[in-house]
Amino acid sequence: MDIKRDYYEDIQLLDSKVLWVWFLMLIGGLLALPFLASNYYIYMANYMAINVLVTVGLNILVGYTGQISLGHAGFFAIGAFATVLFMGKLSFPFLVALIAGGVLSALFGFILGLPALRLEGPYLAIATLGFGMAITQLIGRWELFGGRMGIQAPPLRLLGLFSVSNDRGLYFVIIPIVFLLTMAARNLMKTKVGRAFIAIRDSDIAAETMGVNLVYYKTLAFAVSAFYTGIAGGLMAFMLGFINPSTFNFILSIYFLAFVIVGGLGTIFGSIMGGIVMTWLILMLDKIQDLPYLGEALMTVSERWMSVTGIHNVASIVFGLIIVLIVVFEPLGLYGFWIRTKIYWKTWPF
Amino acid sequence: MFLQLIVSGIAIGSIYALVALAMVIIYKTSEVPNFAQGEMAMISTFIAFMLLDSYGQSFIVSFMGALAFAILLGVFLEFTFLRRAKDPNVLSLILITLGFEMMLYGAGSWKWGAEQQSFPFPVSDYDIVNLGPAVASHLNIATLLAALFLMLILALFFKYTKVGIAMKATQQNMVAARINGIRANRILSLTWAMSSFIGAVAGMMLAPITTLDPNLMMDPLLKGFAAAVLGGMTTLVGSALGGYILGIIETLFGGYVSLQFKSVVAFMIIVLVLCFKPSGLFAKHYVRRV
Amino acid sequence: MDAVEKQVEGDFFNVDSLTISFGGLRAVDNVSFTVNRGSIFSIIGPNGAGKTTIFNCINGLYTPNSGRVIYKGEDITGLKPHKIARKGIARTFQNIELFSRMTTMENLMLGRHIHINTGVLSGATFFRRNSRAAKEEVKHRDRVERIIDLLDLQFARNQFVGGLPYGTQKLIELGRALALEPELLLLDEPSAGMNTEEKQDLIFWIKDIQDELGITILLIEHDMRVVMDISDRILAINFGKPITEGAPEAIQNDPEVLKAYLGEEEIAQ
Repeated sequence: MDIKRDYYEDIQLLDSKVLWVWFLMLIGGLLALPFLASNYYIYMANYMAINVLVTVGLNILVGYTGQISLGHAGFFAIGAFATVLFMGKLSFPFLVALIAGGVLSALFGFILGLPALRLEGPYLAIATLGFGMAITQLIGRWELFGGRMGIQAPPLRLLGLFSVSNDRGLYFVIIPIVFLLTMAARNLMKTKVGRAFIAIRDSDIAAETMGVNLVYYKTLAFAVSAFYTGIAGGLMAFMLGFINPSTFNFILSIYFLAFVIVGGLGTIFGSIMGGIVMTWLILMLDKIQDLPYLGEALMTVSERWMSVTGIHNVASIVFGLIIVLIVVFEPLGLYGFWIRTKIYWKTWPF
Repeated sequence: MFLQLIVSGIAIGSIYALVALAMVIIYKTSEVPNFAQGEMAMISTFIAFMLLDSYGQSFIVSFMGALAFAILLGVFLEFTFLRRAKDPNVLSLILITLGFEMMLYGAGSWKWGAEQQSFPFPVSDYDIVNLGPAVASHLNIATLLAALFLMLILALFFKYTKVGIAMKATQQNMVAARINGIRANRILSLTWAMSSFIGAVAGMMLAPITTLDPNLMMDPLLKGFAAAVLGGMTTLVGSALGGYILGIIETLFGGYVSLQFKSVVAFMIIVLVLCFKPSGLFAKHYVRRV
Repeated sequence: MDAVEKQVEGDFFNVDSLTISFGGLRAVDNVSFTVNRGSIFSIIGPNGAGKTTIFNCINGLYTPNSGRVIYKGEDITGLKPHKIARKGIARTFQNIELFSRMTTMENLMLGRHIHINTGVLSGATFFRRNSRAAKEEVKHRDRVERIIDLLDLQFARNQFVGGLPYGTQKLIELGRALALEPELLLLDEPSAGMNTEEKQDLIFWIKDIQDELGITILLIEHDMRVVMDISDRILAINFGKPITEGAPEAIQNDPEVLKAYLGEEEIAQ
């Protein structure tokens, strides 16, 4: 570790030459990917990016501010439907609609944050659960949102000039947005607002005593978290091309939480890892019967004891198991593994 | 019509009450709402079905078998995972129960798939009893009786037996409970066994009314939670009452306002109660000292 | 002469007939006292006498049932804690309330919260050394560094406070309170868990805080040597009720105080 020479380095993102190199390589890689990889991988990258965005957003609320939310699928839904409707019915241009969707989501986040001020732990969990379910049920039954059938995303035109019609084009919309917002989150957490969030998590009584306005910051945490998730939802609407309410259910909220936990609470880098790894896992488990050895073994098991058609449910089992194992054995998630590996290599004798 | 709605509301309220009871038992000792209990009940119910259908056992045997399975499942889950958690804060515990929920749901869906079955129950859902202008099926009455019976037993259990008091002690301060000779681990296992048992009863009484498929307990789980929140997560009798109140309100809403948005009511109730009286209608509130 | 001066200046801080009950229990019963600017005022009494409860009423964590808290002529009774912090009142806690998963530096920086001018947008968008958020961070880290120097906390600067020894944690809490730049500082048993050497250092520091920083200090303490050494005035309470108030020498020999601490039988002997 280099010696720090001034206070700015405490909060600087890239505080050494080595990190600058990695960073530039990352940017280079991100720019090059769509020209080198096949459509499937671009789709995967888009999906990963969206999940990273949700994870970062949820982590701000859960990991940094110490709250719980079992209802983030609700914000995801609000962002998705709002963006599509703003574009479709009110003819907003894409970016405006997206941001408006995020802001609307943030507003609902703020509203949810108000009762959350008085609630903790299991009560908060259930309240957010109730909120998420209420949103999903409302959207599912209201004709404005296409009822059970859902609605189609309108064609995407950027700045009225470029038409985006495939995964590659979408990539150049999604990746920069996610990249910028993630950087913004990281910066935010290193300054006054982020510190206030962490203080609320570790001791809200002391935080308040030191001048942190709990009402303002707690609702702010909910609002920011909802904003990120709403933007992700809006992007998702275009990635799928079509949104229907049954996607935004309780299971999705659990998935989001799983991303955060597996990645690591309270760390942006962890959220990035969590979003990427878990998305990869989801995509892999989708086609579990195609796996080389495992797939056949599972098919045999399915035929003899279980039902063959239900084999994709193995995904749920695996997912659930991962959640339990991570929480029980490595509460710091992938970030914890990362840190431990770094320390291990640092003290390695060679 | 009003009376019929009330009767129907009480009928479904019994199921909610049972789920709420199962939840509150675990909450009273581990301070965590067990999100897996719906699927635990679902699997137990399917075990009963399997015994009835594939193995041709009588109902009594199947019923008992399912209950035995439920007990074992509860103990197994508590013993293998919950106990080993390194960082027992609320979020971690909730996530563990959520993880179970996913695993059990996946396992159930895998084995019994998407086909809907009908669950034969000795007490019929079709034979009815006339209560003035309203009717109630035999099954409704049986469920009501079962719920009240269990509620009463549990209330007495917690208040008067040694084990019951030991459970409350374990929740309030596990270290102190241990120092006083309470085997906290056994208490926890017992708690989960009891909760699973009650959940299984709820599942098996619900299955005959609706169809039996892996989604059986999804909705009742959330409604049961709403009921517990409404009545108070720290009181058994209160949360059971919450179940009935919720059942009645929901059915009335469905009858008079809108059948479509009936479920939304449950979730709005959760949020409203938590806004204004977080500890529930019938419970006491505790303040933390600095 | 004195009375006239006091009248003209106005009391710096006083508590008037403060009473608060929990359930049926009167935790604080009609407590009143006045603190002069720049002095050290101690509150002593056996465990459970209500001392911390008085602090909680002053700093807004509890709202008293009756009575008032007046600071620089302004009635601050029942204001929320973050507003009281903004008025320049800071406090430490009897059972440490540090942010255990932050470093010492970050804990103290939280103490600067009310002085830092960074919002959501500026915080999210600093990319360069010259951006507003970055400059704020640097400026305040500089101030905090001075406190770290004052309290000899350099070794703990970048360590997570959760793993530090109890006495050090108490010191960090003191530092965090100082970082707020208070005019009135409430210290709740700051020397608990410290050995003799550390207590000596603490006494010097508290005197420094009083002399050089001009901060008025309200102190709850059990260690009588510390109390007698630095207090200008002392209030003794028991069972929530005031027993007596005065200069250290007077309190030391007051029979009521001795009775409260040692019990009646001891005095009889």
